[in-house]
Amino acid sequence: MRNVLAALRRLFHAVLLGLVGAGIVHIVVLLLVPEFSERDAWSRLSMASDLYRMNRLDAEAGGAPVVKSVDPLFYASACRFDLEEGMVRIKAPGNVPFWSVSVYDRNGHNIYSFNDHTATGGKLDAVVLTPAQMIDVRKDLPEDLQGAIFVEAPIDEGIFVIRSFVPDDSWKPIVSRFLDQSSCELQDF
Amino acid sequence: MLKNAFLMLLSLAIAIGGGGASVWYALKIQDGVGAIRIGQWTAFPDIGTPAADPYSKARVAREGVLALGRAEGLSFVAENDAAGDQLKRECSYRIEGGFPTARFWTLYAADQSLGVVETGKPRLAALQSYEVLRQADNSVIISVGHHPMPGNWLLTDGSGRMYFVLTFYDTPIASSTGLSDVSLPRIVKAGCDA
Repeated sequence: MRNVLAALRRLFHAVLLGLVGAGIVHIVVLLLVPEFSERDAWSRLSMASDLYRMNRLDAEAGGAPVVKSVDPLFYASACRFDLEEGMVRIKAPGNVPFWSVSVYDRNGHNIYSFNDHTATGGKLDAVVLTPAQMIDVRKDLPEDLQGAIFVEAPIDEGIFVIRSFVPDDSWKPIVSRFLDQSSCELQDF
Repeated sequence: MLKNAFLMLLSLAIAIGGGGASVWYALKIQDGVGAIRIGQWTAFPDIGTPAADPYSKARVAREGVLALGRAEGLSFVAENDAAGDQLKRECSYRIEGGFPTARFWTLYAADQSLGVVETGKPRLAALQSYEVLRQADNSVIISVGHHPMPGNWLLTDGSGRMYFVLTFYDTPIASSTGLSDVSLPRIVKAGCDA
């Protein structure tokens, strides 16, 4: 009898230890998921294209969408950049009913966003740069950057996403062209 | 000796199995931490921002989401109707009421993964505010279902669970101060195909 009781107590002890361990494992796994995920937006985009390449996110361009959760009435395009190589400039010509832009860090967190009401004349012309690069640019602002929107982001690797509204079918070619002609390139300074 | 090894294994199994499974479950359920509920609609204003809680961060990383920024818009998801029943693709619904201030909004019927419902027709299972007919008091009545309906018609098809995703673009409610006194349209079940 005493033996059985002792065994039960040790079993109970082991289960309790297991539950405490489960709590610790829960927290550790939760915090490690963002570090080790191979399904995050950055990894998916890097499988689809190189740095500084605009890449369509919606299925309209053919193939399965690279990154999900895009509104069916929207087209979207994304490029990856690395600010350690220099600042990056994003431009898109043409007029569309609505566009909005987001800058994400390596983990897919939204750092900065703006839409066409922010831009001069509704033209998409933006430069993403680190605070240190911003100081250099401020000293002597080049002529062709005067109208650009400067996004100061304290990151190195990041993702730039352009979303554009497609009110109906007749807008599809126009919005497609807007995104296909958008550029994402290293800006010399 | 053998008994000790067994107990240790048991502890380890509970710790690793239980810990892993509980994270998996927490990330799977739709209704997470940091949600804001208005009627039947749920939004996660903090998701995808550096200020998000660890669960949202893990979900963003696991699903590869690129969440809308504050200046872009705010999405609401509904999974139940006003009576508290789950939304079904074989049922028809009426979405009625006023919409908060925004430059425009879009509404679409979504499947489990929040992708748009496949209708098998050129017509998308989506509507936007520029194309809807309004009542005299600026409210909107939208009929949702497989059968064509007069007024605003949101086409759905198939069977199984359904979600409505309502997104407001360029809206002041996205800056969290406005969220407390926002009212969103009601979802009323109109009937089901047998």
